[in-house]
Amino acid sequence: MQINRDMNILVVDDFSTMRRIVKNLLKELGFHKFDEADDGATAWPMVQSGKYDFIVSDWNMPEMTGLDLLKHVRADANLQNTPFLLITAEAKRSQILEAAQAGVDGYIVKPFTAATLNGKIHKIFERVAERENG
Amino acid sequence: MVCSSQIDVHLVQKLLDALNAGEQETATRLLDELTKLRESELYQKVSGLTQNLHETLDQLVDNRLLLQTKHDLPDMTERLESVIGMTEEASSKTLQSSERGLNLIESIENMLSDLKVDEVKIEAVKGLLANLSTELTNIMLAQSFQDLTGQVLNRVMLTTSLLEQSLIQLIAESGHDYDAIPDKELSEDAQKQEEMKGIGPNVTQKSKQDSVDSQSDVDDLLGELGI
Repeated sequence: MQINRDMNILVVDDFSTMRRIVKNLLKELGFHKFDEADDGATAWPMVQSGKYDFIVSDWNMPEMTGLDLLKHVRADANLQNTPFLLITAEAKRSQILEAAQAGVDGYIVKPFTAATLNGKIHKIFERVAERENG
Repeated sequence: MVCSSQIDVHLVQKLLDALNAGEQETATRLLDELTKLRESELYQKVSGLTQNLHETLDQLVDNRLLLQTKHDLPDMTERLESVIGMTEEASSKTLQSSERGLNLIESIENMLSDLKVDEVKIEAVKGLLANLSTELTNIMLAQSFQDLTGQVLNRVMLTTSLLEQSLIQLIAESGHDYDAIPDKELSEDAQKQEEMKGIGPNVTQKSKQDSVDSQSDVDDLLGELGI
């Protein structure tokens, strides 16, 4: 399956090191259009602009969590289909189930590898393609 | 400690008189009398303080200090230990990769010397490799933070456990049974609320309960839900 490498990606994490690592990994995978946000609260107005084709977010952030950002996205008629990947240290079963219930497309626990990220992105966009092709 | 009551002037005068008259026995008795007064007052003060401490700690039972001493301080130490462990692991991975990278550069350099191609181009490639080598060396050197942060954290942990010991002693001396301090249990709702905010890595034995161990656990869990 061909993934559109020109898509706009929003990377949300309160740690700049982590944003840098995620961006570098995405770059290795051939993506090149990124924006960054350091919190769910800063990300939300950016997401509302409708610019992003894919959101990669941390969970635990000071103002608005990644889970809340996900819920905002899913509750908005114009944005609700935006693929959303959580990359997080949160690893309680109850949390993973909660994220699933909120409509997350992929869930990666930190620390993670480039191969895991690649695999999840492929899986997410395969499903997106299936959905669009009916 | 300052005792508030006045020293009895008459007693002191009598003591001086006795000393001047060379009456050592009377002087000693009067001196004892004076000191006894002060001692009993000191005793009352100390006993008052102890009582006070006991009552304060009694009130704290419903409060936080006892729970913090028993649960939060050891939790804090365990978390700091995990920070050391994680940074150590990360630095060692970085070092390993940097070393491998440096070895690769060396192999490439050796191969280049054997190749029969344009000398100028070879020199250019060698220049680039030298730059790459410098970058890798910088990455390696940056890992020395692990040593320094580890030392700082070790010190903090030591201080924390000394503080913990002092508090345990204080609790015991005030007549409380340390072992009888109840477990710190969050209500289901409070626990859920914490989790939804995000609780960070589950690095302590306690927080590892009901956590997944690996990405494949996550995948299995979500796979069951078709995600």
